[in-house]
Amino acid sequence: MDRRDFLRTCSAVVAGGVALASGGLLAARASTKEGEVFWQIDPYKCTQCGRCETDCVLTVSAVKCFHANKVCGYCDLCGGYYRPNVKELNTAAENMMCPTGAISREFVEEPYFEYTIDEALCTGCGKCVKGCTSFGNGSLFLQIDQERCQQCNECAIARVCPSDAIQRVSDENAYKLKDHA
Amino acid sequence: MRKILAILMGILYCGKTLAVARFPKPDFTSGYQYPDIVHGAPYELLWNILDVVLLFGMMALVVWAAYRKRGRAIILSMSVVSVLYFGFFRSGCVCSVGSIQNVVTAAVDSNYHLPWYVLLVFLLPIVFALLFGRVFCAGVCPLGALQELVNVRNFRLSRAVSATLSVIPWIYLAFTILYAATRSQFLVCRLDPFIGIFRLSGDLGVMSFGIVLLVMSVFVGRPFCQFLCPYGALLSVFSALSWKKLEITEKGCINCALCGVSCPVDAIRAPQRSKTKEMRRKGVNRVILFAVLLPVLTLTGGLLVSGQSDSLSLAHKDVYLYELLRQQEANPDMEEPLEVETFHAMGGNMEELKGKVEGIRGEYKTYAWLAGALIGFVIGFKLLKLSLKRGRKTYEIDMARCTVCGKCFNYCPQNLKKLKKDEKTIS
Repeated sequence: MDRRDFLRTCSAVVAGGVALASGGLLAARASTKEGEVFWQIDPYKCTQCGRCETDCVLTVSAVKCFHANKVCGYCDLCGGYYRPNVKELNTAAENMMCPTGAISREFVEEPYFEYTIDEALCTGCGKCVKGCTSFGNGSLFLQIDQERCQQCNECAIARVCPSDAIQRVSDENAYKLKDHA
Repeated sequence: MRKILAILMGILYCGKTLAVARFPKPDFTSGYQYPDIVHGAPYELLWNILDVVLLFGMMALVVWAAYRKRGRAIILSMSVVSVLYFGFFRSGCVCSVGSIQNVVTAAVDSNYHLPWYVLLVFLLPIVFALLFGRVFCAGVCPLGALQELVNVRNFRLSRAVSATLSVIPWIYLAFTILYAATRSQFLVCRLDPFIGIFRLSGDLGVMSFGIVLLVMSVFVGRPFCQFLCPYGALLSVFSALSWKKLEITEKGCINCALCGVSCPVDAIRAPQRSKTKEMRRKGVNRVILFAVLLPVLTLTGGLLVSGQSDSLSLAHKDVYLYELLRQQEANPDMEEPLEVETFHAMGGNMEELKGKVEGIRGEYKTYAWLAGALIGFVIGFKLLKLSLKRGRKTYEIDMARCTVCGKCFNYCPQNLKKLKKDEKTIS
């Protein structure tokens, strides 16, 4: 065996050994159980800063507004539906909180209204969530729609989220809902 | 107004129940039922199993195509499959290039969840590289496959330029490791030029960079793989020491030079016969000089980058917040950035943050030194390798650079001869 072959074999053995050893070490760290792999927003940490709308890798963000009916007060004067200090309570665009008209409401009975979010229209800007959290029961909240989410290796919103509200969650807790009775 | 808002938000944070109980739950008399709402389910983890199986299967197919068949057709069809499946369908996440970061983070932080499939996505191509060369790059990596499919011409860069540029992947790798090890950010994911194309949406700057790269790869073979990809840099080390070496033809090279022209990544080394033999003494001296330079460069690199570690650490969210807070303190008239506002609203403790930031900066010192040392070492090693002169009688594949695209197989007249013979036997 000449010198070059000897050197080559030695370094190949070293490289193989390094690959095997690090692989083995990491395999001990790796877990087969379905751990926390999905991104989700903790609605109690969220400050509705609006970055969810702009920083998602998708052009219409995967973050959507969710509505917990069981928490909602069904108010007529809804802080998530109307802008603050509106003069007339009608559906004219200048009175509505939602910039895309994704929130609609339906009369249930005096004096209650049921609010629904059209997820296809929602951009995840969180304006209504801010209104509801500040003046209402906080039944509107932001969540990552797991069907739309690309499950990036690192969530682009989590990187800029000022309140660290976005974390990885497990399959069973893919949503952090506010729907407690 | 801002202060009132901050106080209001502070109250909201203090008690979640406060926020919930502002209006009582309505008593419906009309028998109203709460609507059932179903939210979209996350994707099945079954896809991850398919990913790993396909990754393994496609690499095995490329090995068979390259070593047995010596044909490009299968490798090219793998590229199409890869771009369609790994690229557009699975939208490119998690990929082997990005998995470097998961693995580094898991190695540093034992609490970090490293799923088994991410580890396999990271390790399988390395194992294949150690056995057969960079078959992953051939047609399995969606990034490489995309460039391969649009490549038409090969305008060759000069050896000097491409040798200089080939340091960039290592610099990229060093910073990727630095940022992943300090839990700052995933640099590769952020700067991935082609993921925007696969998702058909993304950051404008990165996407236009991707398009520029794609247009470039029409004229230059795989610019991303050659001059940017950090995982390619890692694979090249293992590929250079691979168990099997790829041969252009088994029938003996006739030194026609066609393969060298065909190679898109300049991985085929031409025969070298020096007419005047170099003085042995002179050659040995040169090698010794560069061998001495190697540790010097490593140390210099480490010192240079670790000197910058404080400014580098701004990439970490907490350090950035801390600096913003300090700026705000020094200049209270400045408009409060969102981060600072939220920090105050959430009742953040400056002292606690300061302790955390000092810890992070300490980590940065260590890892920045390592990153710099890696860059210095690579530059030194590349210089050392360039200083070695090797005699070659035939055209040989440089396994470190070869991406197993299979172009040279079809150019080699020796292989074509074999093909013709096969055709004859069939007819």
